[in-house]
Amino acid sequence: MSLENLFSLDLFSFSPLAWLAAAFAGLFFILVVIYSLNFMKGRKGLFRYYLYTVLTLVLTLGVIFADNLLLLVILWGFLGLLLYLLIGFGRTPSTPATARKALLIVGGTDAMMLLGLALVWFLVYGPGTGLSGLAKLSFSTVTIPVAGGLSVAAFLLLASAALAKAGAMPFHTWVPDMAEDAPIPVTAYLPASLDKLLGVFFLARISLELFILDSTLGIVLMALGSITIMAAVMMAMVQHDMKRLLGYHAVSQVGYMVLGIGTGNPIGICGALFHMFNHTIYKSCLFMAAGAVEKSMNTTDLHRLGGLAKLMPLVFGAFFVASLSISGVPPFNGFASKWMIYQGIIGTAGNGWTWIIWLTAAMMGSALTLASFMKLIHAVFLGQASPHVTKIAESSRPGTPFALAAPIAVLAVLCILFGVFADRIPFGELFSPVLAGEPVFPGLWSSTSATILILAGLFLGMVVYLLGSAGKTRSVAPFIGGEDLDARPSMRVSGVDFYSTVKDVKPLGVLFDWAERKHFDCYVVGLRFADFLGGILSGLHNGLLGRYVLWCLAGVVALYLALIG
Amino acid sequence: MAGEYIPLLVAVPLAGAFFCALAARKSGVLADTIGTLIVALVLALSIYAVVSPPSTHAVGGWPAPLGILLVMDGLASLMLLVVSLVAFLVMIYSLSYMNAYSGRWQFHTLFLLMLAGMNGVVITGDLFNLFVFLEVASLASYALVAFGTGKHELEAAFKYAVMGSLGSLLLLLGIAFLYGYTGTLNMAHMAERLGELGVAPITVAALVLLLSGFALKAAIVPFHSWLPDAHPSAPAPISAMLSGVLIKSLGVYTIARLVFNVYGASPDLLNLLLVLGAVSMGIGVILALRQWDMKRLLAYHSVSQVGYMILGFGLGSPLGILGGLFHLFNHSIFKSLLFLNSGALEQATGTRNLKEMGGLSGRMPTTSWTTLSASMSISGVPPFSGFWSKLIIVMACVEQGRWFYGAWAILVSVLTLASFLKVTKFAFLGKLGKGFENVREVPWPMRFGMVVLALLCIVGGLMLVPEVKEMVLTPAVRVLDHGILTLGEVVRL
Amino acid sequence: MIHSWLPYVLCILLFCVGVYAVLSKKNLIRIILGIVIADYAVNLFLILLCWKKGGEAPILQPGAMEQVMVDPLPQALVLTSIVIGLATTAFLVAIAMRLHERYGTYDITRIRELRG
Repeated sequence: MSLENLFSLDLFSFSPLAWLAAAFAGLFFILVVIYSLNFMKGRKGLFRYYLYTVLTLVLTLGVIFADNLLLLVILWGFLGLLLYLLIGFGRTPSTPATARKALLIVGGTDAMMLLGLALVWFLVYGPGTGLSGLAKLSFSTVTIPVAGGLSVAAFLLLASAALAKAGAMPFHTWVPDMAEDAPIPVTAYLPASLDKLLGVFFLARISLELFILDSTLGIVLMALGSITIMAAVMMAMVQHDMKRLLGYHAVSQVGYMVLGIGTGNPIGICGALFHMFNHTIYKSCLFMAAGAVEKSMNTTDLHRLGGLAKLMPLVFGAFFVASLSISGVPPFNGFASKWMIYQGIIGTAGNGWTWIIWLTAAMMGSALTLASFMKLIHAVFLGQASPHVTKIAESSRPGTPFALAAPIAVLAVLCILFGVFADRIPFGELFSPVLAGEPVFPGLWSSTSATILILAGLFLGMVVYLLGSAGKTRSVAPFIGGEDLDARPSMRVSGVDFYSTVKDVKPLGVLFDWAERKHFDCYVVGLRFADFLGGILSGLHNGLLGRYVLWCLAGVVALYLALIG
Repeated sequence: MAGEYIPLLVAVPLAGAFFCALAARKSGVLADTIGTLIVALVLALSIYAVVSPPSTHAVGGWPAPLGILLVMDGLASLMLLVVSLVAFLVMIYSLSYMNAYSGRWQFHTLFLLMLAGMNGVVITGDLFNLFVFLEVASLASYALVAFGTGKHELEAAFKYAVMGSLGSLLLLLGIAFLYGYTGTLNMAHMAERLGELGVAPITVAALVLLLSGFALKAAIVPFHSWLPDAHPSAPAPISAMLSGVLIKSLGVYTIARLVFNVYGASPDLLNLLLVLGAVSMGIGVILALRQWDMKRLLAYHSVSQVGYMILGFGLGSPLGILGGLFHLFNHSIFKSLLFLNSGALEQATGTRNLKEMGGLSGRMPTTSWTTLSASMSISGVPPFSGFWSKLIIVMACVEQGRWFYGAWAILVSVLTLASFLKVTKFAFLGKLGKGFENVREVPWPMRFGMVVLALLCIVGGLMLVPEVKEMVLTPAVRVLDHGILTLGEVVRL
Repeated sequence: MIHSWLPYVLCILLFCVGVYAVLSKKNLIRIILGIVIADYAVNLFLILLCWKKGGEAPILQPGAMEQVMVDPLPQALVLTSIVIGLATTAFLVAIAMRLHERYGTYDITRIRELRG
């Protein structure tokens, strides 16, 4: 194809929503770079680090704006490689394994996407058309009604790549691992923000623009979303590493977006996209706060943390706000979008009774998220300082450098803004132009007035407390069984085991046990199976020449039998 | 006819081999010079062959079918380009790598003999002539596998030679059958006669024998068992030649010729190729996943990747053939690069065991990124070259309604990715292995070969730009897609 | 008259004998001999192909165009094939000797360090 043809293919389309996603990608790029200036200081290969970061941004923008499917697949696939390279900057011993796992899951689903692309090509052009059609497949010109096995397969294959990138089940297992091993800015940059944008945005595009979904596929997506929400949040509750716990929440929250897209109605989809943007804000904030903790305490093990609220008040404040956001507590932004998703789910009530399950899962998920953040906040910021923290606090006054604090603060402020003014800033200024022509949502939460009511309620409660009982309480040092806790650090309650008893519930306990043995990890299960087969096959290659010759002769006979028939 | 240059493609490396053996025994530099110049000349001739129109040359002026006809059609020129391109880069690499071995002139003699044999196989239009050249290349490769004369080299060479000879015997027997039946050795004439005489038990038997023989050279399961022994045992540049081009020119190319141009692709035959390809793909990659010896891992991947090509051919459609041929081209590039990388690692660290390596990306940056790009290419990660050929093969599967084979190709591709991530993980990531603090990047001739191949991996997709595709790939696809080529058609080229 | 296909069958049998030796013998030299036997079976087969009843040596006499000749081509092929076979055999024997130096045995079942 000559150059003019190349440009006449309409490789890109600049929809308002894409511009919005691009703006977010740019914002996170800037914040992550500022953050990295301090966090990554002194590490080797920083030039490559920033190069990969910039390349990731460029390719992400390409994917967001791409109209041409082939172009999208290429840029998308290369992003997986960049993810791999960026994880490689981690310094834990398990970093190489994690990098391999991430690229294998992401790259493996990219390969599935390739088959999906081939199927789309076949569905559009049919047999015997050669390669020429491939370059012309684009979102704006192709629409495939989902009917029959092929189109369902094509959709599921493309969706699997989106789910893996976003970290939804069953392709989620790389996210918690990566959260634990990769440098925090990378985690905040990719799985927490850019990959979510890409994955969910792509899922929305194929669900809305490329395919016309039927309600069955919608239910499949909603089921996937619900399972993701519940399973990941359950896993999050029992973690004892701050980063890994947050990693599981990054998985759990994707469930809401998938669920929202699965509803298929405008408010659900809109809620999903809004949740995607909100998620990138609060999740990056949480990861970056975790990074600040790691930077000053050199650990994210919950056993060794505690009582950091006094030492790092700003980080604590931001973390608190973001925690409430992710848990869907009004008036923060997480609530605004979850509320819309709930309504979307209720909107599917016409398709049968299943909506009750999805709604329960979504609400339960929120409650459990809150529960697990109570544990996290207790274990990290509140409670008693661990000996480790005390030692560091004594030797050096841990502070939060500006380069780390600024992005965290910006994101926390955004959490509040997007929540309190949900109906004005995100919708009035950002979404409305995007959704031109969409109906006004009946149940849209009038967030600002509600916030005022909430504040008023809080204020009232405060007044009642101060007037009624403020003077009658007494404060003493914390104690257990009469023993003064400050004097006995060994009796400290770290909060790590808050929910460990959940494993004692019979069926759940078995599931947790299986999860710990990685029975649900497609990566581990797949490789175990391949290794098992490989063991058999490699036992057959025992170095005996006679056996090898025999195989050849058997091959000759087999060929003869195959051709004689 | 404008084909006077065709015999040079065999004559030049053959003459170079003899000259090396006679004149360059004393001087390694002279042997190096001769080897490099000859291979460069062959590369130039191959490029000329690609850009010039197809032609034929009757050896000694005897007209076909009496004499031997050399045929330079689109397929032959594509194969020549692949062979000589890889040979040239490998030759430059070996200038530095082979310092570790003695016997420069022997190396260059055998190398050039092998090159002459491969070129001969590709350009000849005569079945027995093909057999002779195939034997020349095979014999040279047996000797090159044994070049290090260590325990394992000798063991591998013996097994390789025994099985290779067996394959050659099957071929010769098959050729005898066909000659007895059709009374001719010229492939085009034979195709014509086979069409006239129709199918008989003896033609099926001959087909089975020839197919088995070529499959043995191509290392298709179940004829593959020599390859994982032989390819890792050779010196790295030779491994690169063996896995990169030898199995393709001696095996894959010959199968394609036999199936499409001589016998004509019947549905049964194509189905058989599909099964053979799919089995090879799966078994090769599963065995590769378990390997810790880097070269053995790569060797098993050759088995698996050859399966892709055969699968592409087995689809029988123009798109499938295009995919198969394009994958052949790409695989030559990235597999030879991977073997060169393994050679660089072995030379720098003294081991091929992945468990003993680690953290080398900082010490050997060039090797690291070239390995990564080749690994991504073979795993089909966009936008590297392997992605494109796999995409075409998968599209061709889908187009034919062969869903299972399409899904299978994807699955194997994922497993390939898994096994190459293992390589990069253990060799380059993580903590620096013990005793590697002073490891250095390899010298420039080795780097040059690797870097050029890596660049080819990265830009390989450009082969599909229509102008390039029309020149290089499409003529080759047309040759195979045309089906049986009659003598008249070949001579008129 | 002997059945005309009998020699061909004997040839194939000889080939099978050679292959059997490669397949089942442990000694390197016997394996090489097996290859040689199979090689000669194929050569013999080629020679048989050109045989014609009452055929004469394919030497063209002036003025005797009509005579029945055996097909000359396979004979040329066989010559080539013999040369190739010789080269292969020489190579194999050389390798077998070196193998004996390294492994101290001619038993192929004990020369199997490459596996898996």
